Amino acid sequence: MISVTPTNANNQQLDLNNLTPAQVALEIKDLNLYYGSKQALYDVSMKIPKGQVTAFIGPSGCGKSTLLRCINRMNDLVDICNIEGEINLHGKNIYDKSVDVASLRRRVGMVFQRPNPFPKSIYENVIYGLRLQGIKDRRTLDDAVERSLRGAALWDEVKDRLHDNAFGLSGGQQQRLVIARAIAIEPEVLLLDEPTSALDPISTLTIEELINDLKSKYTVVIVTHNMQQAARVSDQTAFMYMGELIEYSDTNTLFTTPKMKKTEDYITGRYG
Amino acid sequence: MRNWFKSGAPWIWLTGGAVSVSLVAVVGLLALIAWRGLSFFWPSTVYEFDLEELNGHRHTVIGELYDSELVPADRIIDSGVKLPEGHGEMIERFLLKTGNREYVDLDFRWIMETQIKGEQAPKDIAVFERSTNGNFYGYVVGLQQGEQAVNVSDMRGELIARMERAIELNGKADDLQHGPIGKINYRLERMRLEERGLELKGQLDAAAQQKFVDEREQLQQDYLVLEKELFAFREQASRDSVIVKDMDGREVNLPMAKILDVYFPNDMGFFAKFSHWVHQLVKFVVSEPREANTEGGVFPAIFGTVFMVMLMAVIVTPLGVVAAIYLHEYAKKGPITKMIRIAVINLAGVPSIVYGVFGLGFFVYMLGGSLDQLFYPEALPSPTFGSPGVIWSALTLAILTLPVVIVSTEEGLSRIPSSVRQGSLALGATKAETLWRIIIPMASPAIMTGLILAVARAAGEVAPLMLVGVVKMAPTLPLDGNFPYFHLERKFMHLGFHIYDVGFQSPNVEAARPLVYATAFLLVTVIVGLNMAAIGIRNHLREKFRSLDQ
Repeated sequence: MISVTPTNANNQQLDLNNLTPAQVALEIKDLNLYYGSKQALYDVSMKIPKGQVTAFIGPSGCGKSTLLRCINRMNDLVDICNIEGEINLHGKNIYDKSVDVASLRRRVGMVFQRPNPFPKSIYENVIYGLRLQGIKDRRTLDDAVERSLRGAALWDEVKDRLHDNAFGLSGGQQQRLVIARAIAIEPEVLLLDEPTSALDPISTLTIEELINDLKSKYTVVIVTHNMQQAARVSDQTAFMYMGELIEYSDTNTLFTTPKMKKTEDYITGRYG
Repeated sequence: MRNWFKSGAPWIWLTGGAVSVSLVAVVGLLALIAWRGLSFFWPSTVYEFDLEELNGHRHTVIGELYDSELVPADRIIDSGVKLPEGHGEMIERFLLKTGNREYVDLDFRWIMETQIKGEQAPKDIAVFERSTNGNFYGYVVGLQQGEQAVNVSDMRGELIARMERAIELNGKADDLQHGPIGKINYRLERMRLEERGLELKGQLDAAAQQKFVDEREQLQQDYLVLEKELFAFREQASRDSVIVKDMDGREVNLPMAKILDVYFPNDMGFFAKFSHWVHQLVKFVVSEPREANTEGGVFPAIFGTVFMVMLMAVIVTPLGVVAAIYLHEYAKKGPITKMIRIAVINLAGVPSIVYGVFGLGFFVYMLGGSLDQLFYPEALPSPTFGSPGVIWSALTLAILTLPVVIVSTEEGLSRIPSSVRQGSLALGATKAETLWRIIIPMASPAIMTGLILAVARAAGEVAPLMLVGVVKMAPTLPLDGNFPYFHLERKFMHLGFHIYDVGFQSPNVEAARPLVYATAFLLVTVIVGLNMAAIGIRNHLREKFRSLDQ
């Protein structure tokens, strides 16, 4: 077994099988996903608790990113993608016909693998989501920019050049800018899709610390291929393999006493 | 040897050679037309030749040296011209521009070296540039005011002063004619149409009729006042005349009102010549053509070209961008989309005259004809929009250049990383919002590239325009001071067509030739200018969205 020391051991442990409805942010029920005729997810069911960090780990192509993208319906962009099952966000199925995708995505923010700032100023990047909602008041926007950039631990570095192009920032700063952009619209859930895989170790550390702060306000779901990272930042971890959810428990348990053989093989580095 | 091939050196030589050949071709072409076109405006020396014919008859010829060539003596003899004894194998002959069109048969003539007995360049030969009949070469003998001779010591100074006076008065008369009088004529024509319109609607009662009569009366009176003023100016302008001795010794009376410029090329230093050259060049660019386009400037053609191209750009850009966005963003990927795309690309290969025919049939006759029926019934049977005009030319060329804009916009759209799109969508933007706020701004450099190519193609296109709007001589510009200022139904002049017209439809080939080069050079300059402006904008946009290059 590799030496991983979960840092979240002091968190109160939740019994994932007996969560009260108020504790559940997301409930995934019997989710099957097909790309054309190829099935990518098999009967995934899980409950993601509110105000905690949940990590998806697993080897490449296991479906962890696909599952994450289901939560804000990013998979809708893929024409051949077909989804069965339910994902309930605070008790309401997001795949219901009455749901407006744009307003769903306002409630479920997402940060991608590579930093993807818009070719605008730092300021304009942060308020992009607010502008979409038609907010024009300077004061409100200024406040939102400061709050979001502070929330993403970027304020001190950029406060003097808010109107410079966002591409002048380093990769790690860009990624934090993207996080600031996502939290500017105050989502309920924040999805992070391998947010540090394109970053250097120091930027990675900054982002990991940031994730720890974020969970006080948001439910965070993170996909990572880096098991140490999952162990460091998450409260719950789900291990996926070949489109199936193999094991889902609190991080401490999963890394120290995995129940399933496949999980053990993976975290001990026998494949993946 | 094998190693040399393997090293890739021959490949570098080949590719480098291809680039050099292209460069030499382009630079050579530009240098040729620039030299031929621009040197035309240089005040060249005017020679006086003493000629002796075989029968002993002696006479003088005054003119500018235009061209010279070596001809085999046999060929000259074969053509029935007798040569003196002892001529060489080859004979040099010169082309002279002798001007004085109304007094000699031809204002260009060839003389042979065997005829020439003497050659000089007297300093006091004057060249008169006239509004009709071309240049006049000769010696200033005297000045006349009415029937009275004017006696002054400084003949040249007095001549120039009086010429400038006449030019100023004529200018005032022209302003009057184009300004207030033009306005009255325009107003009268509008009134006729208004009256006819009311008549067609059956609303032309006695009161309305009376109103028209009154207004017409008023305009008529205004007109008479202005006309008096006009005639006064013209009368004053034609007060003076200058007496000039031409090469045959005739003393000719040239009315001052017809003289546009006078200069003494043999008495000019380099700087005087240079300033005259600049002056002539400016005049060529800003003044209107005269004498069936063989003289004067090309301003209406420059204006027409630029105006039409800009109008086309305004039409083609939104159309092409919107079409590209649909094809790239909304259309389902499938055989139909693929076919549409192939069809669009193939449109670019359709010969331009076909577009001309289409424009004439569809835009001018169908669309323009219907517009006339609907909105301008009072002018019928004479067409308003139902005849070739600048708007139809712009539309025809917009269709011609549409594929270029569509293809390059699509290319730009597909270069935008999907991560940026997803980033916008993930923030709760709809697809349309993403397009409007992120995608189109990021694709704008590519759109500008499409526009640059479209402008380059459209500005050089002549064939379709001959069917849908270009004319040899347009009396008015498509933009003037009369409401509604833009007159898109008007015909216009175009530099490309001007080249064709001057070069191939002109009665005076020798006089037209340098103008062809000058106009060609100007056309290239205009296109380069338009492109430079567009490239400047594109580079600015690229700088703004430089993320794409990272």
